[in-house]
Amino acid sequence: MTETAPQPAISMAQPEDFFQLLKPRVMSLVIFTAVTGLVVAGGDIDWISAAIAILCIAVGAGAAGALNMALEGETDALMRRTRGRPVAAGRVNKNDAMTFGVILSIFSVMLLGMTTNWLAGGLLLLTIVYYAAFYTLLLKRRTPQNIVIGGAAGALPPVIGWAAATGQAPWQAWLLFLIIFLWTPPHSWALALYSAGDYARAGIPMMPVARGAKSTRLQILIYTLVFVPVAIAPGLTGMGGLLYLAVSVLGGFGFLFLAIRLFRSRAGDQPDKAEAVGREAALYDVRAEAKPARNLFAFSILYLMALFAALLVESVAAIPGL
Amino acid sequence: MTRLTPEQLQARNKRNLAIAGALVVFIVLVFGVTVLNLKRNLDARAEAIAEGRPVGYAG
Repeated sequence: MTETAPQPAISMAQPEDFFQLLKPRVMSLVIFTAVTGLVVAGGDIDWISAAIAILCIAVGAGAAGALNMALEGETDALMRRTRGRPVAAGRVNKNDAMTFGVILSIFSVMLLGMTTNWLAGGLLLLTIVYYAAFYTLLLKRRTPQNIVIGGAAGALPPVIGWAAATGQAPWQAWLLFLIIFLWTPPHSWALALYSAGDYARAGIPMMPVARGAKSTRLQILIYTLVFVPVAIAPGLTGMGGLLYLAVSVLGGFGFLFLAIRLFRSRAGDQPDKAEAVGREAALYDVRAEAKPARNLFAFSILYLMALFAALLVESVAAIPGL
Repeated sequence: MTRLTPEQLQARNKRNLAIAGALVVFIVLVFGVTVLNLKRNLDARAEAIAEGRPVGYAG
């Protein structure tokens, strides 16, 4: 296995490198879904506690990201999408990243528990342990179902937000969990279809590597058929209103259309040209055959954001005095 | 003893400042949360007294 880039005896790491360890892009999605859970829950939490709760959830998710990067530095160095990460590139020492992740985990869980309640604190701890230990150390290298099972960690933030606001995690919170949980496989596998070479080099059995592109395209379609009705469900159960229903139905048809187009395409059948020459390619810079996969990947992010944005807007509009 | 280069010193100073800033933020947050929790408990106590309920520890 390739080692990470050589590290100087005395650290040259900048504060920005430690910020990158928190996976800020993932953190922004975590913040957004947690805020939605917290607002939709409609508890009597004051705004200071709510702001601290969101900060804790964001830092906790970032801590899980730092632990993931500390544990995966050598693997990250093999993949063009991740080779620039602080540990993989040798800018931050693995032990420093691990210490950083552990300290932030402890502080975020303790502060969330103290500020709101220990159900929220416990769920945040579960998220961190699930992602850093269960997913990164156990699942990722062992099964092509890695992101299906591991996706639960990314789906928990709205439940934590809900618990922070009310001290409870009712079925409505778990419906938000289920939306993200079922969204993760088509989203991640669409990306994996045009990054399969990367995963194969790193020895990670992502679905296109382990079962082939054709099977992956079929499984994406099957998951989409399950995901879209679940995404529409809040609009039919009273959780979401007309705006949510419109966004979820229209976007759902778009999602399904792109999944069918991907299923009928040859995306992933051949390694991507950018991979063949091993250059640093952007996530969206792919060859023509892989475009249906790229389109579904991009649309999936947009759809999830739109679903949660619609819920958030409706819930904020329903707050008395606003 | 290792003598640090100006670049290494600069990087270390930046990290130290970031740690100091983070610690200050953490202290302010813990202080704020403590004050909030005290206020909640005092409010609950005042409400209990006003309603003639027995006053006990919250939680």
